[in-house]
Amino acid sequence: MSNKVVGQSVPKIDAATKVRGQRKFPQDFNLEGQLYAKVVWSEYPHARVLKVDVSQAEALPGVVAILTSKDVPVNEYGINIIDQPVLVGEGEKVRWLGDRIAIVIAESEKIAQKACQLVRVEYEPLPVVTDPREAMKPDAPLIHEERSDTNILKHIKIRKGDIEKGFAEADVIIEGYYVTPHVEHAYMQPEAGIGYIDEEGRVTVIAAAQWSHDDLHQISHMLNLPIDQLREIVPAIGGAFGGREDMYIQHLLALCAYCVRRPVKMVFDREESIRNTGKRHPYYMKYRTGATRDGKLTAVEIEIISDAGAYASTSVPVLSNSASFAAGPYIVPNAKVDAYTVYTNNAVAMAMRGFGSTQPAFAYEMQMNKLAEALKIDPVELRMKNLFEDGSIALTGNPMPPGVGIKEALRQTALAAGWGEEDGNWVKPELGPPSAPYKRRGIGVACGYKNVGYSFGFDDRTRVVVDLALDESGEIARALVKLGASDQGMGAHTALAQIAAEALGIDYQKVRMALVDTSMVPNAGSCSASRHVYISGNAVMRACQEALRKREEALRTGERRVSAEYEYRGRSVRPTTPYDGDSGMCNPHISYGYTSQIALVEVDVETGETEVLKVWAAQDVGRAINPEMVKGQAGGGVHMGLGYALTEEFIQKEGLVKTRRFSEYHIPTVADMPREFIPLIVEVADPTGPFGAKGVGEMTTLPTAPAIISAIHDAVGVWIDNLPATAEKVWRAMRSRS
Amino acid sequence: MPTLKMTLNGQEVSVDVEPGDLLAYVLRDKLGLIGTKISCGEGECGACTVLVDGKSVDSCIYPALKAQGREVVTIEGLGEDSRLDPIQQAFIDRTAPQCGYCIPGMVISAKALLDETPHPTRKEIEEGISGNLCRCTGYYQIIEAIELARERLAGKGGRG
Repeated sequence: MSNKVVGQSVPKIDAATKVRGQRKFPQDFNLEGQLYAKVVWSEYPHARVLKVDVSQAEALPGVVAILTSKDVPVNEYGINIIDQPVLVGEGEKVRWLGDRIAIVIAESEKIAQKACQLVRVEYEPLPVVTDPREAMKPDAPLIHEERSDTNILKHIKIRKGDIEKGFAEADVIIEGYYVTPHVEHAYMQPEAGIGYIDEEGRVTVIAAAQWSHDDLHQISHMLNLPIDQLREIVPAIGGAFGGREDMYIQHLLALCAYCVRRPVKMVFDREESIRNTGKRHPYYMKYRTGATRDGKLTAVEIEIISDAGAYASTSVPVLSNSASFAAGPYIVPNAKVDAYTVYTNNAVAMAMRGFGSTQPAFAYEMQMNKLAEALKIDPVELRMKNLFEDGSIALTGNPMPPGVGIKEALRQTALAAGWGEEDGNWVKPELGPPSAPYKRRGIGVACGYKNVGYSFGFDDRTRVVVDLALDESGEIARALVKLGASDQGMGAHTALAQIAAEALGIDYQKVRMALVDTSMVPNAGSCSASRHVYISGNAVMRACQEALRKREEALRTGERRVSAEYEYRGRSVRPTTPYDGDSGMCNPHISYGYTSQIALVEVDVETGETEVLKVWAAQDVGRAINPEMVKGQAGGGVHMGLGYALTEEFIQKEGLVKTRRFSEYHIPTVADMPREFIPLIVEVADPTGPFGAKGVGEMTTLPTAPAIISAIHDAVGVWIDNLPATAEKVWRAMRSRS
Repeated sequence: MPTLKMTLNGQEVSVDVEPGDLLAYVLRDKLGLIGTKISCGEGECGACTVLVDGKSVDSCIYPALKAQGREVVTIEGLGEDSRLDPIQQAFIDRTAPQCGYCIPGMVISAKALLDETPHPTRKEIEEGISGNLCRCTGYYQIIEAIELARERLAGKGGRG
């Protein structure tokens, strides 16, 4: 397919202002007469608040107001299940450190900070529950005793085929137990923003958000105000990765503005951001995988326990994703999955790049590599025998929709990494000598797949308005695309502008994207589920086609302005359905992206330190709207995956935070990244995607950790089943082996 | 309140500061230069990187008064209205910015590197930005952008 704009690496629409430092992020906004707010955070992971005394703090000159639970019209919120207090009042419980007791509003940030320390809070400490496996037990202390008599928030079951028959047919059975940690999103821009009453009297928030229109629903509930009296403006977002899907500052800014009727600015410092916001879920995963001698999978039995933390957030949908992806992109005729998500007093766990597909990808790919070793079959070859094709029956009983590119992704990755292929037999390359006598080299393979669009019957829709300005001769002088699609940095606005330009047949430079301001743009759903190119791209394309039809009319009447509106719904193409309660059978997702990576590592046998030398990363995106942006997603995904594999772990002890800042929580620096990175773009079109496109944002993180950990095994013979594989962990594993 | 006098992006400025004030906050809050970003607050991430007498410093931990009488360059001091600095242009051409929050600091670190070492090797480029964290990109397109700027500054034009 030849296109003029789609498929071209045009400059990102916001790049020029970003490289000049001109593009405004939430902390860059200031308003005349603004006040400053700071939060009094909980000091205990689980306690009853006995007394909140603000008298000393109120007396401090410059303090304007101190908000407590009594000031919140409806003191509860939650993105999926409403179980979170906005502020915790006397007699109520704090359930993690990120719970808030009060908000101090003052003439300066320094005064607000000082006043926070003068707020006296008396607590009655309660037993702290930090391990979800313990929290599941019937005698465990309850986190939400008013809601339920168990800490188990959700149990999902999948029963496919006959598990006993499946294991009876197996020649080899691999058992594994995998543990993955809490991960901090670590976006570079800490939470910040400003709340004020706008010229129309609306409670208005400027902040980074992944779904501004949904934030308004939640704020509307909290303030008991109709949506049309609320407004959210989303300027440049300094990264999000799922971490801004829930509200961590938006509702607080709205509450401040609502209460004091003046502009109020609030900026979290890095420690506040790490301590008090959501994380990737820790998972405990028990796997049993059966296969025949020639490498055909016969059965899997899986138990997943996820640590939801103190509040539900999106733990249930995240778990739902995990269960559906639990066996990987492989045909498995017999399966039994039990997945649980459980309340604890740990950090709230929430959406993070992969949304529940990341943790099981580590487990199922470790299983595949262990199986390959046990069967003495090359890991690429073993996968090729089992990978999905169009129409393959997935774990949840549904046929995979057209556009399954996983075999092609793996094929390209393996060939690029030096594998040889003859008649379906795959042969691993020679790795060459290590760089020092005390180092060993190894190579590891992994695959993954991730949904594009919302799942399990959740209505996925984007509404968009396209305005055209026509010149004297009726040509399109300018197009303005208006939709509430946040761009957290990955380039959603650029990709959507490219799709608009292509659909309208005009230059990319003639397209402008409206600022996300709920008073000006329609609801486009969240910036998550890797969905904006697929769902919003479909909406933009169709709105543009409608605009072109209206232009024909305008040419007859002499009108110079054309406006078209379109709502695209995922269910119009592929309706999804929720899990059947007994069997788990369903049609879980709309579309899928596929990925495969190979990692080459060197392990220092004296220290256990792993250096990743090279990563080959293929992503089947259906159609690359902007190839350089796809490569950018691949690089960022590998960065996050490498951190997951080797360095990143948000550590809590008894609910208290041990990794409080960037000097204690280590995201990879440039020196930690593989010196060579080979991104490969695979384009197996999804016929329902705009120009065949699927999505790319999340899947790039999935295979990195299992590829690296399997490469470590290839190098030094130890399996690290508990992430991250720090030098100490690898060294200890080597020592206990020898 | 002491007065800080410095040359900021080529202009003499003087501003009253508290003795403990840090340069990043003075730049942002008192001088309105919002291009300098604050992220970690402990000199770990480099989002706040500025040049002081040509050397890159983490302005979020740099006492403002230490800049007394010195020459400070922030991201706003690079390029002109009609023409970007070649480093900035290379960052656009290599699709280097994603969220962009680290980018002003990255560009300044690249500037410090290329001013001192006009022909840096790939390893020298990596060292030059090793104090700058990015969560979006994996750094690859940032490195490519600096390589492109290196070629263009050396008059080779660079590819595309």
